Amino acid sequence: MSSATVVQQHSVPQPAQHGKPGGMIRHFNVVTAVILGLVLATIFGFLANRLVPSGATGATFAPVLPDVGFLAILIGWVLGFMIGIGAFIGPFRWLMGRDLTHADAEYLAGKDMGVGRYFRYTTDHKVVGIQYLVGFMVIIGLGGLLAMLIRTELGVTWAGVFSPDSYNTLIGTHGIAMIIAMIIAISGPVGNFIVPIMIGARDMAFPRLNALSFWLLAAAVPCLVASMFAGGIRDGWSVYQPLASQSPPGMIGYQITIIVFAISTGIASVNLMTTILRMRAKGMTWARTPVLVYGIFGAALMGLYAFPFYQYSQILALSDRIFGTSFFNPVEGGSVWLYENLFWLLGHPEVYVILLPSIAVCLELIPVFMRKPLFAMGFAIAGVVGVVIMSGLVWAHHMYMTGWAPFANYPFMLSTEMISIPVGFLVLVAIGTLWRGTAWTRLPLMAVYAVIFNKMIGGVTGIYLSDVPADQFFHGSMFVVAHFHYMLMGAGLFGAMAGIAFYFPKMTGHILDERMGSIGLWTAFAGFQLTFGSMFVAGLQGQPRRVLQFDNLFNISNWLSTIGAYTIGIGMLIFLAAIIFSWRNGKVASGNPWASKSLEWQTPTPVPLENFTVLPVVTERPYDYGVPDPYATAQKTSSDKAGVQ
Amino acid sequence: MAHQTLFDSDEPEAPTNRPAATGRIREWVSRPYARAILILTVVIGFVLLPLAWLILAAMNQTGAPASPIMEEIEKTVFWFTIVSIPMTAFVFAVLVYSLLGWKRISSDDPPMQESPAIRTNRTGTIMWTVVSSVLAFFLVVWGMIELAAITANSYGTIPADQQPGDEQPLIVNVTGQQWVWTFEYPGYDGATTPVLYLEKDRPVYFNVTSKDVIHNFWAVELGVKIDANPGAATQTGVTPTKAGVFNVRCAELCGLHHAYMETTIEVLPKEVFAAAMREMGGGKTS
Ligand SMILES: [Cu+2]
Ligand SMILES: [Cu+2]
Repeated sequence: MSSATVVQQHSVPQPAQHGKPGGMIRHFNVVTAVILGLVLATIFGFLANRLVPSGATGATFAPVLPDVGFLAILIGWVLGFMIGIGAFIGPFRWLMGRDLTHADAEYLAGKDMGVGRYFRYTTDHKVVGIQYLVGFMVIIGLGGLLAMLIRTELGVTWAGVFSPDSYNTLIGTHGIAMIIAMIIAISGPVGNFIVPIMIGARDMAFPRLNALSFWLLAAAVPCLVASMFAGGIRDGWSVYQPLASQSPPGMIGYQITIIVFAISTGIASVNLMTTILRMRAKGMTWARTPVLVYGIFGAALMGLYAFPFYQYSQILALSDRIFGTSFFNPVEGGSVWLYENLFWLLGHPEVYVILLPSIAVCLELIPVFMRKPLFAMGFAIAGVVGVVIMSGLVWAHHMYMTGWAPFANYPFMLSTEMISIPVGFLVLVAIGTLWRGTAWTRLPLMAVYAVIFNKMIGGVTGIYLSDVPADQFFHGSMFVVAHFHYMLMGAGLFGAMAGIAFYFPKMTGHILDERMGSIGLWTAFAGFQLTFGSMFVAGLQGQPRRVLQFDNLFNISNWLSTIGAYTIGIGMLIFLAAIIFSWRNGKVASGNPWASKSLEWQTPTPVPLENFTVLPVVTERPYDYGVPDPYATAQKTSSDKAGVQ
Repeated sequence: MAHQTLFDSDEPEAPTNRPAATGRIREWVSRPYARAILILTVVIGFVLLPLAWLILAAMNQTGAPASPIMEEIEKTVFWFTIVSIPMTAFVFAVLVYSLLGWKRISSDDPPMQESPAIRTNRTGTIMWTVVSSVLAFFLVVWGMIELAAITANSYGTIPADQQPGDEQPLIVNVTGQQWVWTFEYPGYDGATTPVLYLEKDRPVYFNVTSKDVIHNFWAVELGVKIDANPGAATQTGVTPTKAGVFNVRCAELCGLHHAYMETTIEVLPKEVFAAAMREMGGGKTS
C-alpha cells in the first residue's frame, strides 16, 4: 500500500517465520467469538450447577443456585468471546516463543482485507475507531429505546404499562447503558480514529491493546443485555447497597459488565495517553497540540483514576453476594456509605470523562467553521487541567443528604462551586472564538450552538445542586435528572453529534447529509428542551426521581416530558437515518472538505494504512486561520506586526 | 517574533500611542456590534428574569415554605437565579449575535473569506476570569452562611437534650422500611403513627433510620431531607411555622414500591396536636 510500509519492512528486524504464514489468527472473527462465548457460557453454567454443592434436589438445570450459575455463565461468555475473537493469540504466541511476524502484524492491522476487518480483532486504529462508532450507536440505541419505554410509563401512569419491577429495570438499564455509551461516545470513535492522525502518528502506541479495549467492551455489553433476562437491574444505575443485594441475579450482569468495562476503559486510557505523550509528530510541541488532544487526554486520565474505584465497588459487592462477605452489609458491620463513596469517586469524574471530550471537540471545530484561530488557547488548556484536577475532589456532593459526614458538606460545596471556574474558561474560549467570526453554518457548527446553549442551562441548574441548602430540596428529585441530562445529553450527546458530523467525511469518505442531519438535530433539540424543561418543573414541584406513580400535581409536566421524549426519539432516528444514508450513498467527500488546516485533514480519504507516507513535521501553531483584525491594526503604530500569519 | 511565550498570543506589543483605559472602553462601545450585544444581553436578561419568581411559584404549589429552613432554601434559589442571569444572558446574546449580527455563510463549499485572527484579548479574558471567580466566590460564601444557618435551624449537630429554645423540642423517631414510614414519639409514651404529626412553631428533632435499605426522608414543604440508612441513625430537625397538610416522600430508590412510599404531614396548632397525640395513645404531654 503506502511506501511507508515498505520502508518498515527493511528497517524492522523480523522474528523467524515458523511454517507458512497464518495460523489461528486467520480463523478468528466475531462469529467464532460469539460461538465460543456461547459454548463456554453453556459449559460453565452446566458445571456450576453440577459442581457447586447445594441443598436442593440437584436437578440439573433447576435454578438451585441462580447467582452462581448466572455468574459462571457470564464468565464463560466473556472468556469464550475473548478467546474466540483471538485476543489471546498474541500473548500465547509470545509465551511459546513465536512472536507475531510482520505478515501476521499486517494481517492483524487489516491490510487489504476489505469489510471483514471490521469484524475481527483488527489493530488498525481507524478500524477500531469505526468499531467504537458503531458500538456507540448500538448502545445508545438500546438506551434510547429504554428511555422511550420509561417516558411511555410516566406519560400514561394510569395505564400501568409496566410493573414496578420492569420499570425499575428500565431505569437502571437505561442509566448504565447511556453512561457506557457516552463514555465511549467521543473518546472511542474520535479518540481512536482521529487523534493518532491529528498528532501525526502511524497508529496508536499499542495497537493490539486498542483492539483488546474494544472487544472487551463488545464482550461486556451482552452481559448487560443478559441481565434483563435474569431479573434485571432494578436499582438505578447507581445500584446502591444494600438494595442491590436484594436484586435478582440480573445484578451480577451489571457487576460483570462494569468489571469488564473498567478493564476496557483502563486499557484504552493508557493507550490514548501513551500515544498522545510519546507519538506526536516532530515539531508538535505542547503549544502546537490541538485542543481536542488535550480534551481526550484529560478524559483518559480521569477515567484512569476514577474507574478503579467503581470496579472495586462492584468486585466487593459481587463478593458480598457470592461469598457472603460484608463490605457493604450493615447488619454484619459493612457500610453503605463506603459503597456510596466508592461509587461517586467514579461517578463525578465520569461526568467530566463524558463532557470534556465533547467540549474539546466543539472547541476543535469552531475555528474551522469560523475561519478564526481558537481564542485564548491557554485558557482552554487551563480549563482542561483545572477540570481534571478538580473533578476528583468533588464526589461527595452526591452525598450531601446521606448524613454521612455533615461537616464534609462544607469543603465539598467549596470544591464543587470552584470547578465552575475552569469550566467557565472552556465556555469563554468557545464564545471568544465565535466572537466576530463569519459563521459557516454547517451542521457541525450548528450542533455546537446547541451544545453551548444546553451547557449553560445545565451549568446554571448545577449551581443550585452544588449548594447544600438548595440541594436539601432538589436532591433525589426530578430536578437532578433534568440537570444531568442537560449535561450528559444536552452537552455530551449533542457534542458527540457535532463531532460525528465533523469527522464523518474523514471516517467514512462521505459528507453527512446536511439537510437530513439538521432536521434530525433540531427536532431532537426541540424535543430535548420540552422533555427536560418540563422535568425541571416536575422537580421543582417536588416529584422524586425513579418513581412510576405520582400525584396528579405532576401530570402535566410529565405529559409534556413524554411528548418531548418522543420528539427526541424521532429526531434521533432522522439523524441516524442521515448517518446510514450518507455512509452508503452520501456525497463523496474530498480529503479536506472543511478546508481545515489541521493535520488529520491533510491525509487522503480514505486514510491509508499507517496514515502517512512520510511522517509529517509540524512547524506552526494550530488554528492558523484568519486575517489581521481591522480594529487592532487601526490602533497600531507598526502595522507590520499585526497578524503575523 | 519578539516575545514568544508558551501559548504565544500573537498580541502585538502595546503601541506607544495606546489610548487610556477610558478611551479604549469608549472606542470598544462605539463599535457597532458591541452596543448591540450589550443591548441584547440586557433584553435576554429581562426575558429570563421572571424565572426567579416562576421557579419559586412552582416550588410553592403545595404550600411551601412551611418552615424557616424552606424559606432559606427558597431565598438561595431565588438569588442564585438572579446572579446567574447576567452571564447566561451574555453568552446567549453572543450566540444569537454571532448567527444574526456577524456575517453568516451557508454555502456547500468552504468560505473563501477569513475572519479576524483574534488569538486573545487581555481585557476580555481578565474580565471573564474575575467575574466568574467573583460569582463562584459569592456562591461559596452564600452557601457556607446558609448552610450554617439551616444547620442551626435543624439542630443537626446539637444533641436532642441540648437544643436551644425554651420549649422542649418534639422528638420523632423516623423509621423507613420497605415501603412505609413509621413515626414514633418517645415523648408521648412511644405513640406510633403512619402520618407525621407536628406541632406548629415547636421545634422538632428527627432521629432517622431504616430497617432494610437506604430510604430518604423528604418532608417536601418543610425543606427537610435526610437519608434513612440501615445500621445508622441520622439527625435533622425543623420548626414548622405553618399549619396545614404537607407531604413526606421517599427520595431514594428503595425497591419495588418506592413510588408509593409517601405519607402526609399534619402540622397542627398546640391544642389540636396534644389531642391528636392522646388519641394515638400517647397521653403524656412533655
Ligand atoms: Cu457530581
Ligand atoms: Cu424509596
